[in-house]
Amino acid sequence: MNRLWNTFRYTYAHLRGQILGWGLGLAIYGLMIVPMYDSMAAQQDQLQQLIASYPPEFLAFFGGDATSLVTPAGYLGMYAFSMMPIIIGIFAVVVGSGLIVGDEERGRLDLIMAHPVGRSAFFFGRALGMLGAILSIMFLGWLGFSILLGGSSLGFTWGQMAVPFLSLITQVIVYATLALSLSMFLPSRNLAAMVTSGVMVASYFVSSLAFMDERLATMSEFMPYHYFQTVLSFQDLNLTWLFTLLGASMLMIMVAWLRFARRDIRLSGEGSWRLPLLPRRKKTAPVN
Amino acid sequence: METNIPVKTDQKLAIEVHGLTKSYGKVRALHWIDLEIHRGEIFGFLGPNGAGKTTTIRCLLDMIRPDGGKASLLGIDPQVDPVAVQACTGYLPGEMQFFENLTAERQLRFFSDMRNGRAEWSYVRQLAERLDLDLKPQIKNLSKGNKQKIGVIQALMHRPELLLLDEPTSGLDPLMQQEVLGLLREANAAGATVFFSSHIMSEVENVAGRVAIIRSGEIVEVADTDSLTRRALNRLTIRFKKAVEVTDLGKLPGVQILSQVGQTSVTLLVTGDMEMLLQALGCLPVLNLETEHPSLEEAFLNYYKK
Repeated sequence: MNRLWNTFRYTYAHLRGQILGWGLGLAIYGLMIVPMYDSMAAQQDQLQQLIASYPPEFLAFFGGDATSLVTPAGYLGMYAFSMMPIIIGIFAVVVGSGLIVGDEERGRLDLIMAHPVGRSAFFFGRALGMLGAILSIMFLGWLGFSILLGGSSLGFTWGQMAVPFLSLITQVIVYATLALSLSMFLPSRNLAAMVTSGVMVASYFVSSLAFMDERLATMSEFMPYHYFQTVLSFQDLNLTWLFTLLGASMLMIMVAWLRFARRDIRLSGEGSWRLPLLPRRKKTAPVN
Repeated sequence: METNIPVKTDQKLAIEVHGLTKSYGKVRALHWIDLEIHRGEIFGFLGPNGAGKTTTIRCLLDMIRPDGGKASLLGIDPQVDPVAVQACTGYLPGEMQFFENLTAERQLRFFSDMRNGRAEWSYVRQLAERLDLDLKPQIKNLSKGNKQKIGVIQALMHRPELLLLDEPTSGLDPLMQQEVLGLLREANAAGATVFFSSHIMSEVENVAGRVAIIRSGEIVEVADTDSLTRRALNRLTIRFKKAVEVTDLGKLPGVQILSQVGQTSVTLLVTGDMEMLLQALGCLPVLNLETEHPSLEEAFLNYYKK
């Protein structure tokens, strides 16, 4: 247990800069967005006309329609939460892909693993450190969104404001564990980050545009963003979706752990593999 | 690591390796490595770059999983209980990277915590003092040699029973090299077994009682250091005050003339013992004598050329 705790402690401490950066950034955004609602509500009519003039495809990216965007929940959904999984997802991808492979590629893992930590304790210590960092960022963000709620006409409580953050946490965990899992199989951290980012962006686009095309709607059911909930009450929260995402994350963690426990620790690319290169086109001889 | 080789774990042995094999795709890194290192001995592991020294050490610590063969350290199979092996082992990798923003002290405390605080801090300070290492600066501001010293300290600080060191003096100045070799001798005197790889012949000669030579993933020789030294090659350049019959030197046993400039300068290749040559030189008007320790490749790979 000591071995796991030590690894967790150091991982969390190592991520403290990112926790503060992302957490405070999110909190400051919340501190700005919550009081702004009152001035938006005061100009509701003009705003509604303006929004109605936007194409529905555009509004879909912000998770709303012309009528819902001026309601408190619609306002938060559009301005605060709709793009949050993508924004905080960047943190998830960076941390998840580099959680173990980052040190491996820098040549540090070899010496760390020569200490009596054990691969499993090390892996779960690091994974818990990452989870701790995600929860800390979300907590700071939630604080930022909640502090000024009392003076705002949004009419939500601190508890209600926590609901979309619960869903956001599961989104971030899914992307972080996907990046971690891919980093265990792919030849480099960059490739794992690239593939996860691709999945994340595709998930956002496909899910946002799903209402336009039935095939996209079917496809979106396999995308994490489809299960992102910006609802502001516990009653409306779909717990099945929440736990499905957590279950998928657990599965990816277990796959990554099994792989890490069995594979060689790489050193300077030793034992790594490369994606097969496409055959190069033969150069034609210059014509004189 | 499936094998049918029966392995008897001898309590007198610190390291026991039988038939260790490892390949990376088509590249064969280790081929049927057999080694037996006794408890309490200093054992040198010699080989040129890419011979398989690091791969062997990393297999012993369960960093990489061999394709075949068996290994046992202090009677423990690293595949079965790697944590137990790592707990009683000190390891110094050939290439080290640290958390660059930490100070040397924080980095060493991190390593100590990874061993559940088993390192004695007074001993760490003593080691740092002997190696002339300031623990306060951030690692990113340290030279390669000073980073190497951090590596040496972390390998020794918990007074391990077994030291696995991959080129321990790499990047150090000659004085510090001697200090590190001295620390290894002291650890050995206190009961530790030392297994270290090197490609520097003189370093191994200095401290190791026995030596294994690895080439292209295969052990080509395991012998006492003395017997290898006797077979080792040395290159000598001798300048004389006046012309002498240098061709006579080439007739001595184990001496071969590589080149000569007139009758006043000659370069010789000497195999093993130099006693006869030095006796002969005692009767000649020697102005200057330069001896060059050949690289391992010159000294041994030529010897073992197939």
